[in-house]
Amino acid sequence: MPQLGESIAEATIISQLVQPGQTVHPGDDLFEVETSKAVMSVSAPCQAVVGEIQAKEGTSYPVGALLCEISVSAEAADKAGLTPAKPAEPAAEATANGAPAIPAAPPPPAAAHEVPEGVHFNYQGDNESFVSSEPGSPVRVEPTVGGLPVPAGAAGATYMSPRMRARMMELGMNAADLAGVAGSGAAGRVTVEDFEAFLASLDTHGMTKASPMRIAVADSMRRSWTRPLATVGTPVILDALLAHRRAQSAKSGPALYAVRALGIALAENPALAGRLIGSRVVHPKAIDIGFAVEVEDGVLVPVLKGVDQVRLTDLLPQYDRLVEMARRRRLPPDRHGPGAATVTNFGTFGITWATPIPLPEQNLVLGLGAGRKKPYWSNEVQSFIPVTEAEITLSFDHRVLDGGAAGRLLARVNALLQRPEEL
Amino acid sequence: MSITYLEAIRLAQQEALASDPRVFLYGQDIGAFGGAFKATKGLHEAFPGRVIDAPISEDAMVGMAIGAAIEGMRPIIEMQFADFSSVGFNQIVNNAGTQFYRTDVPCPITVRLPSGGTPGSGPFHSQSLDSIYAHYPGLVILTPATVEDAYTMLLEAVQIDDPTLFCEHKYLYYHLKADALPDEALPVGRARIARPGIHATVVAYSAMVHESLRAAEELAAEGWQIEVVDLRSVKPMDTDTILGSVARTGRLLAVGETFPWGGATAEVISRVASEGFHLLDAPPQRLNSKDTPIPYHPNLWKVHRPTAQTIASSLRQLLRY
Amino acid sequence: MCYGRFRNVATDGLRPPAPPPPTNHSILTTRTHARILEGQTVIVPGTDLTGAFRDQYTRTYRHMLLARVLEDRLAAVYRAGGKIVGGVYVGRGQEAFSAALGVQLRKGHDVYGPLIRDQAGRIAFGEPILDAIRTYLGSIKGPMRGRDGNIHRGRPREGMPPMISHLGSFTAVINGMLMARRLQGREAERAVGGTGIGDGGLSTGAFHEALNQAAVERLPLVVAVANNQYAYSTPTSRQFACHDLIDRARGYGVRGQVVDGTDLAACLKAFTDAVQRARAGEGPQVVIGKLLRLSGHGEHDDASYVDPALRKGQAGRDCLEVAQTFLLDQDWATAAELSAWQREAESEVDAAFAIVYREALPDPYQESWQALSRADLVEGSSHAGPEL
Repeated sequence: MPQLGESIAEATIISQLVQPGQTVHPGDDLFEVETSKAVMSVSAPCQAVVGEIQAKEGTSYPVGALLCEISVSAEAADKAGLTPAKPAEPAAEATANGAPAIPAAPPPPAAAHEVPEGVHFNYQGDNESFVSSEPGSPVRVEPTVGGLPVPAGAAGATYMSPRMRARMMELGMNAADLAGVAGSGAAGRVTVEDFEAFLASLDTHGMTKASPMRIAVADSMRRSWTRPLATVGTPVILDALLAHRRAQSAKSGPALYAVRALGIALAENPALAGRLIGSRVVHPKAIDIGFAVEVEDGVLVPVLKGVDQVRLTDLLPQYDRLVEMARRRRLPPDRHGPGAATVTNFGTFGITWATPIPLPEQNLVLGLGAGRKKPYWSNEVQSFIPVTEAEITLSFDHRVLDGGAAGRLLARVNALLQRPEEL
Repeated sequence: MSITYLEAIRLAQQEALASDPRVFLYGQDIGAFGGAFKATKGLHEAFPGRVIDAPISEDAMVGMAIGAAIEGMRPIIEMQFADFSSVGFNQIVNNAGTQFYRTDVPCPITVRLPSGGTPGSGPFHSQSLDSIYAHYPGLVILTPATVEDAYTMLLEAVQIDDPTLFCEHKYLYYHLKADALPDEALPVGRARIARPGIHATVVAYSAMVHESLRAAEELAAEGWQIEVVDLRSVKPMDTDTILGSVARTGRLLAVGETFPWGGATAEVISRVASEGFHLLDAPPQRLNSKDTPIPYHPNLWKVHRPTAQTIASSLRQLLRY
Repeated sequence: MCYGRFRNVATDGLRPPAPPPPTNHSILTTRTHARILEGQTVIVPGTDLTGAFRDQYTRTYRHMLLARVLEDRLAAVYRAGGKIVGGVYVGRGQEAFSAALGVQLRKGHDVYGPLIRDQAGRIAFGEPILDAIRTYLGSIKGPMRGRDGNIHRGRPREGMPPMISHLGSFTAVINGMLMARRLQGREAERAVGGTGIGDGGLSTGAFHEALNQAAVERLPLVVAVANNQYAYSTPTSRQFACHDLIDRARGYGVRGQVVDGTDLAACLKAFTDAVQRARAGEGPQVVIGKLLRLSGHGEHDDASYVDPALRKGQAGRDCLEVAQTFLLDQDWATAAELSAWQREAESEVDAAFAIVYREALPDPYQESWQALSRADLVEGSSHAGPEL
């Protein structure tokens, strides 16, 4: 059944005009049919002998349905443009289904023009017979629009969709929380389905609620970690410092010596404590130095002001008071910092070396390791002598400082610590 | 009983003529001939003097309708093909579309636009103009995808006091059938969830709803549950239903048969991007016809517009994201 | 013969033009007769210059006068700046031709579709001059409430819809209004629709479609074609190539007449005849007025492109002056009466402006910004920018 007009889906056979065995010529009418628009005829595509007639009068057939078979000579088929472009069987059995865009190779009637039984279908899509392709070859399908933008990187993409961001914000989460989630999206990104599955899987674990202090520390560390941080370290001989300390009635801890030494060193070149904001290095307003105090489930950093201007002996009472206030969580707001830099004495935990992370508002954190007795070669006595040595470390934003500058600052601090009486 | 989409349109007009003396039909070949698609078959005889043949003058046809509407009539204009309404474009957008805002006097005209492609129809008998009319203020654009909607929405179009463009899809005329006409319907302006799903949303309208449903069926075999939203009217566009669906799925594909620059699908994407950005787990996608005139030969035509296959292929890409 | 300038072309079918009607000079005064011979005015032969015609002529003259005074004032207000924005488009020189149609139509019964230079016709039809001033100034009390301006005004429910700027597309709307009456079974009311177009608008496809449509439907449509020689700056030689626009009427199968558009008497006669024929069911009527636009396209345009010869010729006469002379010649009015009418028109315009100046202008914060009458089908404004 040919397409006898736009939007026509079917037509009814009114009368059969030929008989099996009859020879027909191109244009001869085979059937009279009625569409919803008009009465028309289906005609022979070429000279042929009419074969088996399938169509019955009074019955409606969808476009593409087989009405009758006709036998065609190769010559006639060729003349009518019904032969395939490449060599094929000499005598093709063409069908009088009359599909206007007849495939180059007339396929077997039943296979090529598959139509659902009857006309009870609700929606019949495009007639496949209109697609000119080699029989059996898959139809090539290309989307009309371009492909999706794929997150950079073939795998391990950190891209977060708007929905992921919104969902995480809703739950008070951030990218770091996704560290343990393997993504199934493009380039391995975490899809919202992955995320929800991950959340659901957590329900099988034991869980405790993070304290506000823990959340605050976590947030501070996460923000700081957005920068390229580096750490340098150097051994410091503490004997002079310890001797000085023993001589004092009010005894400062090694951390306070380090605070004072760092303050003096930074006062000589405040730009070293500068922060890179856009295209400018922003210097500290004053040489205020913070020091880390461990409190329950976290760390507080009280600030000593104008450290470069105050002698160690005068810093001590303030220091003690601040430590006490920090432990009680009663630190006044103006002592919360942020200072120009921070000193952390991780040596109190027996740790000899670490890479502490500076506060997000600061460039520098000076770390103090645990002191140990070590043999030291003395040129004077031409022998090893025992000394107390500790590692001091300087962690810094590598965008602001390079290893050289950081090393020189650390060397200056070391030098100051060797003359504690001047602090 | 089996009622085609076209028959539903004819029956709706018959019902409108029978129930409202203000209704009349005006268009080319719609009288005794019954219309190029037979959408008015028998109506000329049933309603003498109220189904009127027009000269080939789309501008004057719409102008006539506007004047008649001012005088209290409810004209239904049949454009022989939506494509030809471009000749009446000025009357539609500048005269009908501005009248209420300018004068406070409504302009209740219905313009039927036989839209969309069918094999072999070529560049000038295949166009879908919903999007270009939707761009203009003062117009209502209906795009029914089902036999039921074709019937109820055409009846509602006649009742709407504002100029209403009824975009009926020619491919659905005979290909779509229903057992009976509905007693009730969603109001104009509300979209319909044609198929529920959880993995991705396809927003479509008119014939593209059926292509999308077929694509959804194909993907169901692969384990994906695709939600298909039938817009029903391009303007007003039911943003709430679209956002509700994207909230369920996080992924959006908008499919339209219009040309790709701008239009209804772009509007869908724009609204979801601005109002539902936080709902999107993948970049929202759209699929339209190609940016060329609509080709004549079925081999070209079939690939020019979105089909179930290209929709499925786009969905697979979207689901992989 | 004095009526040589007047052509009455019957164009029904392919019949040749009908012979001119019998002349009857006996009712003309000697003075008028003399003037006709001098070629300064044209009186339609057969015109009854007494009684009803005198009343109609005088009434129409006063509509023309009021239109002229109003438009002069609008132009002055525009040039003073601040009150009228956009432009002022006047019908100077076309008042006789415009009013002669408007005065034939009965508001509330007939349909009128005035075009750009139809202020006189609008007044004659019955549009209050307040509508004009309110629309130009944007008053919220006007029919357009600041949503449209100047000559784009009307009241569709009162048989006078507003034109849109796209020339030619207005005519089919008038057709539709007439068609509605037919469909409503009201043909016995014998309502007619009058509308205007110009030599430029005649070139549009829309006008062609509409006139052909009216002819096919044999609608009682009267089209006043003001051939004012220029469409903005484009002369008729660049607008059409036929010998005379009247030739077009024959092509559409409608009846056409040509009149001297500067002569009120000729215009009245032509439109009386055309409207009567339309009312009687004879189908569309076209009346072409030969005249000259005695202004720019708008008040922003000095019309320097107008051929000086045209200004000096018959078409270049000021129809208002021609009518004044005629009124005096006929002893239908004294110079003192003409002056009194002038003062009355001025006071009417003064009073109307005084009212409108005190009226509120549109407020964007109060505006509905709604282009559909069905509020439930209006889309949310979130895509069109933030709420003001």
